[in-house]
Amino acid sequence: MIELRNVSKTVVSGTEPLTIVQPLDLSIAAGEYLSIVGPSGSGKSTLLGLIAGLDVPTTGEILIDGDAITALDEDALARLRGRKIGFIFQFFHLVPSLTAFENVLVPLEIAGAADARDRVTALLSDVGLEGRAHHYPAQLSGGEQQRVAIARALANDPPILLADEPTGNLDSANGRHVVELLQSVNTARRTTIVLVTHDTELASTADVMLRMRDGQAERVTLEPEREAAV
Amino acid sequence: MTFVFRMVGRELRASWRRLGFFFVCVAVGVGAIVALRSVIQSVGVAMTSETRALTAADILIESGQPWSKEALALIETALVAEPDVTRTASIQTATMARPADLTKTVAKVVELRGVEAAFPFYGHFVLQDDVAYRHDLLAGGGALVRPELLVQLDLQVGDDIVIGEGTFEIRGVILREPGGQLGAFSFGPRVLVDHEDLLATGLLGFGTRAERQLLLRVPDARIDPLVRALRDPLRDEFVSIRSYRRTEDRIAANLRRAENYLSLIGFIVLILGGIGVWSVTRVFVQQRIRSVAILKCLGATGGQVLAIYVTQVAVLAVGGSVLGVAMAGGVMAAIPTAVADQAAAAAGLADLSYGLTVSAVTQGLVVGIVVSLLFALGPLLEMRAIKPLALLRWGLLPAGARDWTQIGVAILLAGGLLMVASWQASSWEAGLWVCGGFAAVAGVLHAVGQGLIRVIQPLGVGSRFAFRHAVLNLVRPGNQTRVILLAVGLGSFFIIGIHAVQANLVNAFALEIGDNPPDMFLIDIQQDQADGVGALLSAQTGRAPNLLPVLRARVTGVVGENTTLETVREIRRRGMGREYTVTYRGALEDNERVVDGAFWDDTPSDQAEVSVEESVRSRLGLELGDTIRFDVLGREVAATVSSVRTVDWDDTRSGGFMFLFRPGVLEQAPHSFIAFVRGPEGADARARLQRDLVAGFPNVSVIDGLEVIATIRRILDSVTLAITIVGGIALLSGVLILVGSVAMTKYQRQYDTAIFKTLGATSRTIMVMLVVEYGTLGVVAGLVGSVGALGLTWGLTRFLLEINWDPAPWINVSGLVLTALVVGTVGVVSSLDVLRKKPLSTLQAE
Repeated sequence: MIELRNVSKTVVSGTEPLTIVQPLDLSIAAGEYLSIVGPSGSGKSTLLGLIAGLDVPTTGEILIDGDAITALDEDALARLRGRKIGFIFQFFHLVPSLTAFENVLVPLEIAGAADARDRVTALLSDVGLEGRAHHYPAQLSGGEQQRVAIARALANDPPILLADEPTGNLDSANGRHVVELLQSVNTARRTTIVLVTHDTELASTADVMLRMRDGQAERVTLEPEREAAV
Repeated sequence: MTFVFRMVGRELRASWRRLGFFFVCVAVGVGAIVALRSVIQSVGVAMTSETRALTAADILIESGQPWSKEALALIETALVAEPDVTRTASIQTATMARPADLTKTVAKVVELRGVEAAFPFYGHFVLQDDVAYRHDLLAGGGALVRPELLVQLDLQVGDDIVIGEGTFEIRGVILREPGGQLGAFSFGPRVLVDHEDLLATGLLGFGTRAERQLLLRVPDARIDPLVRALRDPLRDEFVSIRSYRRTEDRIAANLRRAENYLSLIGFIVLILGGIGVWSVTRVFVQQRIRSVAILKCLGATGGQVLAIYVTQVAVLAVGGSVLGVAMAGGVMAAIPTAVADQAAAAAGLADLSYGLTVSAVTQGLVVGIVVSLLFALGPLLEMRAIKPLALLRWGLLPAGARDWTQIGVAILLAGGLLMVASWQASSWEAGLWVCGGFAAVAGVLHAVGQGLIRVIQPLGVGSRFAFRHAVLNLVRPGNQTRVILLAVGLGSFFIIGIHAVQANLVNAFALEIGDNPPDMFLIDIQQDQADGVGALLSAQTGRAPNLLPVLRARVTGVVGENTTLETVREIRRRGMGREYTVTYRGALEDNERVVDGAFWDDTPSDQAEVSVEESVRSRLGLELGDTIRFDVLGREVAATVSSVRTVDWDDTRSGGFMFLFRPGVLEQAPHSFIAFVRGPEGADARARLQRDLVAGFPNVSVIDGLEVIATIRRILDSVTLAITIVGGIALLSGVLILVGSVAMTKYQRQYDTAIFKTLGATSRTIMVMLVVEYGTLGVVAGLVGSVGALGLTWGLTRFLLEINWDPAPWINVSGLVLTALVVGTVGVVSSLDVLRKKPLSTLQAE
């Protein structure tokens, strides 16, 4: 369960304050699939960063499973992400010096997981990359890198998965593959997914859509549309 | 921790090529420390294990004058109580030797030593052709000589040589001798004869400089008590008493000092390496921002991330230090045996086995690791500022706030370096000087770098593309300009400075032998020989020589307004206990100037008056009118101080005297003469003059100034070579840092170059950019090095060497040009693969 209470974000642009996210209240239930859509600069990624504890809101507080993460320090936030949050980026952000296998292994090692290697093998198999485990990111295509990133995000079986434009850097076939992966994760594991995109087709695969414009958010329920699409 | 170690392994696997340079930086510094320390320690072990052989006795009693009756009586009294003492006497003096064969027109100064049958108590002679040493070889007119004398006099074993009034048959060649004066200046090659035969040469006339020795063999337990028993009664005699242990202590102290100062040089090289480490780590951290942000996003804490990179640096530091030790081992193994044998012979050692010592290796490893960590810590701590948010919004790094941790690290670095430097030099003072000096030079170089960036920044908007971008490369964020200037500037500063100092020293000696200088020095001319020697010199040189009367005198007391010194012991405490050569004359020489009091006129006086050199006044705390008591060959002379002089010791063509007497008193005392003459041109004529002098006046010694200057030049060349090697290591560190800096910024450069090429820039344009960029850096580094070297030579010549300063412009200009060429070439060559790489592969990788 993710809860945002009166959360806003203002930065200083030049000498003028600029509000990127207007005060917002939002609840995302466990297992819910939420997409955030809006044009560039509307505050989507900033909102996602706030939910992940990557950034600090100017006002309000964010609670994950009832705990206010806005009160946590950097290290506590890092530990929280390690346990509860998986993150998928538009530009994949794999560690270039590690193989695909090691990239997926890292969060398990940080968490001190016992069966880490078996789990990595299984995850890479789930995303269809069993044969590419020992390749470095530079040796993988964009779609393959994103699948490694998804496997890595799922490594600790986090209850929350945050995705920032996960198909933005992929061709349509690879993009579709990634969307299917996210849907299956949401369905099979009941993982809460928050997906940022400007692709309305992709956004419509979610249960709920949050439309953002100039920092303002508007919640749109999509369940019937999604069912119709399926 | 498992995660940390695994990540360290993975990171090292991925970036060892980039960090290889880090490795080398540490290795060069550690290698320098370990090699320098090991060599000195090996020499130290060899020397201290042979100190008895170096002294040839347990106790050595020495006197520069004939033994006085009182001294001999006191020695006998002390020895009566010691039944187990064996003794032997020895005398040594510098004199002339010539072949008995009169067709050979050559003569040389030799170090003549007369010994008795019991010599030596310790150590042994090594003679050529494995001949065993026995006193029979000397008895009855035999002589053993050094091989160089055979060459110089064109003689062989079996030939005769004439020394003084004696003729000696050469019966063997000395390769190594015990009881040599370690490190002492020698006038010429050794000739060993029987003690009685030396006395019969008639060389030991009045005023002859000869060292009389009494060597004692004493049971170990009695050495110290006997030294005390001798010193106490003999304290007012001009006799020195020392045991071999004092020699051991002195050698150990000298070696320790040499070791510590050489280690400081190694430490400076290591600091340069540390700057390289700092530079590499800084760029490495910049390249790792994304990886660190990813790790933090995946749940790694700041502590874990820092631990990964600090451990990585520690592993590299250990690896680099071990590589440094291996390099030092390799260098020592590569020293040719001939060099080691020569060094051993010079030090009077049987042989010199050298290798890495445990202490040197330990120190090298510890210093290498500590310095690497200290220098790497600052840049590594910047990782704390990396936020995972950087993955979403690039460039959002916090800035501006004062970082107390970084300030703390800077203080830790300064304190740590000071402690390590002081440890290496075994002195807080030396550590402070080195660190302070280094900080000052580094500060100047940093300021120059900063100034350069500021000065050339406006040129970045110029019209020529290549020039504009070369300037932008020098000033863009994360540039290596200051680091390269610091490293290369320091290296060139060392090398140019040392060569300029050498040029100044050689100039100073050249000045001494100036336009029409005396270049031969005659000593021990007896009073009855003065006219004959003068006539011979006039005939062969065409000029009347200036014979200076000299006497040997010691200060035995001072009665003055501020100072009263009654005993020899008190005089010794003021550092004035040695025997002085004094003279008398009625006028000042060109190199003298009276600074206090009035110099006497030409008229002799029967009241003894003395003019003292300025340093004597300060040492003895003298005032004008004070009385100094002298022992002049056993006769007491009390002289009033009537003036104080300065002597230009750079120009001693007419000699330089601490004590100068008014004519009228010392003429009566037995004395000898010395003469400075301009010898004839040509080696043959010079040899003939020496031969004729020795033939007519066997006790007169002739020192050929040209040979002395040639020797000094050889010594200077060796010293310069040694310092140049050290400066070369410093410059090598600088070049390594340059290569490393280029390598570390290559990735950014590759990307820029790929974009330029895509936009139409040719390889030639990119090459011009590189040449302008590195050429500018090289010129500025060379300029800073040259200007620094000018300051260094000025300071050293003025305050330390006290010689005239010559700016040596050619050395500075050629140093500048060479530095610019080295930097330009290394910079461009290291960047060549950037030129070769196809733009598409670089852009795809991004």
